[in-house]
Parts: sequence; structure tokens; C-alpha cells
Amino acid sequence: MRKYETFFIVDPDLPDETNSVVDTKVQAIVTSNGGEVLAYTPWGKRKLAYPIRKHTRGLYVLIEYSGGADMVAELERNLRIDERVLKFITVKLEDRFDPEKERERRAAAAAAAAAPAPAFDEEEEGKASESGVEDDEAMPEDFEEEGFEGSKEEEEE
Amino acid sequence: MVVRRKRRTFARRKICRFCVDSDLSIDYKDSKTLRYFVTERGKIVPRRISGNCAKHQRVLTLAIKRARQIALLPFTTVHTL
Repeated sequence: MRKYETFFIVDPDLPDETNSVVDTKVQAIVTSNGGEVLAYTPWGKRKLAYPIRKHTRGLYVLIEYSGGADMVAELERNLRIDERVLKFITVKLEDRFDPEKERERRAAAAAAAAAPAPAFDEEEEGKASESGVEDDEAMPEDFEEEGFEGSKEEEEE
Repeated sequence: MVVRRKRRTFARRKICRFCVDSDLSIDYKDSKTLRYFVTERGKIVPRRISGNCAKHQRVLTLAIKRARQIALLPFTTVHTL
């Protein structure tokens, strides 16, 4: 058993009912292939750093689960087929997953109070894309200078 | 040359942020933290400038590349609509 997480982007223009269909479908694939869903967190709508299939915004969903490699392959296959899913990434979190330990950890975390889901702030995104366009120098100027100096020094000695 | 030497005395030893603060973790989903280590153009800031240690720079690079895959960080500024 391994622990994985898949972070995927769903088409944001779909009505909410369709989104919940995607949710249940993904969870069903995990459980029907011998996996266990550990966490399912929708991150909400967010501006994408670059357009994907002509969408500039996306609905991010994070799912944590345990299972084998076959299950991941099956899940990814289904995500690829599903047109509502714009993009996904799967990351292996643990090589040897112990369900007992996970339960303990979860209980401890729950006791320590429910932490609010990470919130995106949208304005940060907008600023970054605006300011970056004119910049021909790859690095901010003071950075450049310092770094150059640093490498020069070493050569001298 | 002289100017450079003089400036050198002021050069502050850069330290790895992730080594100093063990609470600070590198996660590809945390685009706010990663953004600090990316230039305005979207390039990864080299180690000699950010001051990261080799170990953390390696982890960070992977995180930035993953964040780009899932559109949390841009590959470049050109492909914005």
C-alpha cells in the first residue's frame, strides 16, 4: 500500500451538480480498485497561471488516498478520458503506508481543532502577470548584480 | 575593481530560509511560498541569489516544476491570453 495524492482541475463553467458527479466518480474509482480515500478537499475556483483548453480559471480539487499502483493507473486513465477534468497531477506521498498510523495521526489532528481549508487569494495572481510582461531582464536588477559579484569573487581567488 | 572589493565587505552571508525555519515546508501546492523563488518571468531563482542550500534548492526546484504542471505557477509570462 502506498499513499498518493492527486490534484486536479475541473472545468469551472459546469453547474455544481456536474462537479459533484466528478467527485463521486473519482472516489468510486479509488474505492472500487482497493484504495481508500483519506481526504477530499475542494480548493475552490482559482485563476490558472496559463490557459488550459481555453479556460483561464479552474476548480481545483485535492484528493488523498491509499492504494496500489494499478489503482493509480486506472484513476489517471479515467481522468484523461473525462472531458470535465482539465489537468491533473499525481504525487506519491508515502512508499509504505500504514493505515493504523494514519488513523492515529488523523485523530490527533482532529483533536487539535479543525484547520480551515487553504484559501487562495486571487489578486496576487493578477499582479504577477501584469508586472512581468515588460521585464526583459530575467532577474530583478539588484539580484543580478549581487549574484554576478559573487561568482566573480570566486574566480579571483 | 576597487568598488567591488569595497562592496564585498558589505556582502551579507546568505542563509537558507528552509534550514533556519523548520516549520517552513516546501510544497508544490503552496504557490505563495514558491512564488518568492521565481522571477517575474517565471524562472527559478538560482541558488547563488536565493541563498538556499543545495538540498532545499533541489526540493524547491521539483516543487516549482510540479506547480507549473498544475498551472499554479507560469512556465513563462508570454502565454497569458
